[in-house]
Amino acid sequence: MKSLLATLALTTALTLPGLAMARPVTLTTQLKNYSGDGAYLAVYVTDPQGAYAGSLWMAGRKSKYYKHLTDWYRFTGGDTAQINGITGASVGAGRSLKISLDLADALFDAGYTLHIDAAVEDRRDSPNEISVPLTSEGAGTAVTGRSYIANFTYDM
Amino acid sequence: MKKTLPLLVASTALCATLGLPAWSGPSAPFYGIPLGTVTAGAGTSNTASLLFVSDDDDEGHGWLRWLENDDDDDDDCEDDDDDDDRRERKYGEDDDDCGEVAPNPAPAGTVAPPPNGLFSTDTPPQVQVN
Repeated sequence: MKSLLATLALTTALTLPGLAMARPVTLTTQLKNYSGDGAYLAVYVTDPQGAYAGSLWMAGRKSKYYKHLTDWYRFTGGDTAQINGITGASVGAGRSLKISLDLADALFDAGYTLHIDAAVEDRRDSPNEISVPLTSEGAGTAVTGRSYIANFTYDM
Repeated sequence: MKKTLPLLVASTALCATLGLPAWSGPSAPFYGIPLGTVTAGAGTSNTASLLFVSDDDDEGHGWLRWLENDDDDDDDCEDDDDDDDRRERKYGEDDDDCGEVAPNPAPAGTVAPPPNGLFSTDTPPQVQVN
């Protein structure tokens, strides 16, 4: 009985810090009703110094188009290892992309910024279409895009 | 000698008058006639055809096209069909023969997210498109 209790306490102690460091976040991107093919979207984060910290999602599977996501491409050199396991289909005009993920708690209120680059075939590239600081206060506030994104929101 | 020169000029003018319109003729379909019809007609006729039929998709350039700076990027390794993922899934083919490009990334769910420190777990993001 004593060993069972000790084991339970130990597992709880090991699990709790992990849960406290994780923050479930939902990123919602609503696209405009532009005329054209599906949009490629690169969702990534920069640190307080403005340096690339990592990618959160890539909408669009063809690496040959990634050069049109110009800021993301400049940061990564088009390295697809950055987006292995976090890549899905491009998003059609008028559609809404909802991404649910567990982010590190340290990203919030610490000067990190979420960016979205957008590109549509035969249309003008739109780097840094969305740029929003990751803060607790900013959660739930819609941010308007410049070209293809009607609005973007992150909820916690 | 005096007769030769006018004859030469006349024949040149005649050739130019007849030849240039034919040379700059539009691509198929020719005046609404399908390419197959034009080809079959030329094949069964006893007379030589002056038609220059092309299956080039780039219409509207005519015989001066070689003088133009063609900005058409149809063949610059850009895929015109952004939704060809569907075709790939259906037929299992990838017709991208564009030389050296980075390999396509692993789709979500097939491998763990990259260890970039942003994700607190190895659970891949859940995505929903409406």
